[in-house]
Amino acid sequence: MNTPDSPPSPDRVVVVGAEAGPNVDPWSQIVRLEHGGDGSFAAIIREQVGRTPVAGLAKLEAQLLRALADPAVTAAGRDFLCSQLALVGSAAAVPVLGRLLAAEASADAARVALERIPGPEADAALLAGLSSLSGRARIGLVGSIGARRSPGARETLSRLAGDAGEHAEIRAIATRALALLRPASTGPAA
Amino acid sequence: MNPPSSLPASTMGRRRFLQLGSLAAAAPLILPAKLRGAAAPSNLIHVAIIGTGNIAEGHLKTLLGYPERVRIVAVCDVDRERRDRAAALVDTAYGSRGCSSVNDFREVTRRADVDAVWVCTPDHWHALIALDAIRHGKDAYVEKPLTFTIEEGRALVSAAREHGRVVQHGTQHRSMKRFFDAAGYVRSGGLGKLERIEVSIPPNNRFIGSSWTPEPVPATLDWDLWLGPTPWRPYHSAGCHYNFRFIADCANGQVANWGAHYLDIGQWALNADDSGPIAVEGHGHFPTSGLFTCATHVDFTCHYANGIPMSCRTRQDGGGTVRFIGERGWIDIARNAMSASSPDLLREMQRPGKSVTLARSDNHHENFLDCIRSRARPVADVEIGHRTTTVCNLGQIAMTLGRKLRWDPVTESFPDDPVANRLRGRAARSPWSLV
Repeated sequence: MNTPDSPPSPDRVVVVGAEAGPNVDPWSQIVRLEHGGDGSFAAIIREQVGRTPVAGLAKLEAQLLRALADPAVTAAGRDFLCSQLALVGSAAAVPVLGRLLAAEASADAARVALERIPGPEADAALLAGLSSLSGRARIGLVGSIGARRSPGARETLSRLAGDAGEHAEIRAIATRALALLRPASTGPAA
Repeated sequence: MNPPSSLPASTMGRRRFLQLGSLAAAAPLILPAKLRGAAAPSNLIHVAIIGTGNIAEGHLKTLLGYPERVRIVAVCDVDRERRDRAAALVDTAYGSRGCSSVNDFREVTRRADVDAVWVCTPDHWHALIALDAIRHGKDAYVEKPLTFTIEEGRALVSAAREHGRVVQHGTQHRSMKRFFDAAGYVRSGGLGKLERIEVSIPPNNRFIGSSWTPEPVPATLDWDLWLGPTPWRPYHSAGCHYNFRFIADCANGQVANWGAHYLDIGQWALNADDSGPIAVEGHGHFPTSGLFTCATHVDFTCHYANGIPMSCRTRQDGGGTVRFIGERGWIDIARNAMSASSPDLLREMQRPGKSVTLARSDNHHENFLDCIRSRARPVADVEIGHRTTTVCNLGQIAMTLGRKLRWDPVTESFPDDPVANRLRGRAARSPWSLV
């Protein structure tokens, strides 16, 4: 029996895909992911994401995006897929993530990925999100824009910092983000 | 606005003086005697404890032992039962009803009469709470690990320097004589040429099965604020207090829990307090389902520029230790025990007069309190804490990716691994932000 204080035992380290059998494609199951449910399919995909050489990342990204486009994907599945796109996503993922960003319910999931994807496409998608998000999602979005330290965000951040109509937290984040901006002459962050 | 430094400390008041730490730190510190005196209430350092679990209780009781130096004015926790219990403990000790009990940390980090905060929350909150405190002029004692991600750590160091705040990392081994002796002994060549360092950590000890069922959030708990910047998940009683450290969205398991202590001593002995390894490799056993997702078995090795490796491995037969192995033998140091390949080595180790003298503290709390007064950097300064926590993170990233990674401790980046670089940080859940 496993109690919270029991010592480690072999059954703690997973039986992968135990609930669905050994031959189930994790990509077909990941869209059904639920909090508290069988996480073994996510673990397989997570391992693929970590272990795939750079040359194979585009194919992996396409698989993640296909799963994300499945109309049956659960909120937990969507959040997981976005967390993996945060690691291997590229400009190819930005259109899908931009659409998710526009809806408050999926904005955080999209931002988890977009904040970590390098390049001007992700910068532009995050800035575009300002036109649709409000409340706490908007505060988080401004934080993500600031975290990227993109010189292209200077004008928007300046406007947010000085806009009395914005939430005080947004003005504060924008002000701090301006101080962190890279000089315009430097390239993008690694 | 007039430069605050134009005000003498005696005029501006002690609290204001402490809150202008960046300017005070830049000049020689000469406090008037009345400010150094112990009796006047205005001389007390006003402290708020943020997070009131078992670690905090230890700090709280310790601080209550310094009534002439410290006044705990507030406790904060998202669990009402816990914070009220902590406040009652303080009030009983002081014989008053003056200790505030609040839910939201910003009620204390932004409170004008608070000088310093103790950040004792789950790991995923350390950085953001400490940052808010620093930005509002507070000094901070931050429990280990300093932060959850590498990027959080660098942000915290930058903020502490920018605002001139004193930040002590809660790696109290730095203030224990045996670790001081060991690090100095190794640095002085006591073991001859150092060959390697081996850190052992205990295993994770939590498991509830490969699946779990969400539970109703207790009426006394602000679950949304407990989660804060970490991804949303439903509540389960086993995944909250204390056990957060075994959930990968909140913490890095025993690597950050015990590893932070012993890897820290390795860093000290390697003279790497402002740098770190240049490569890391390893593997871990990660549960693939269930609530607890941190590695149940850890095995990673950091390689330093001087050619010395420092490994970190899970042991099933005991607690944490750090073992230094050199050409003259080995010494093995734990919090409550020490051993060596020869008793002579331990005798030598404890002898004063080593060729390398390290920063000395015999009491981690007193060292922090002293530095709040002096504005000097404490024995486990924020940069030191960040570098140690980075070693924990590097191990975690190497185990996650399962490949050897080169690391540049100057730029704090992986020179040739874009995926690893993205693991240096993460986006915070709304409305939280590292910026």
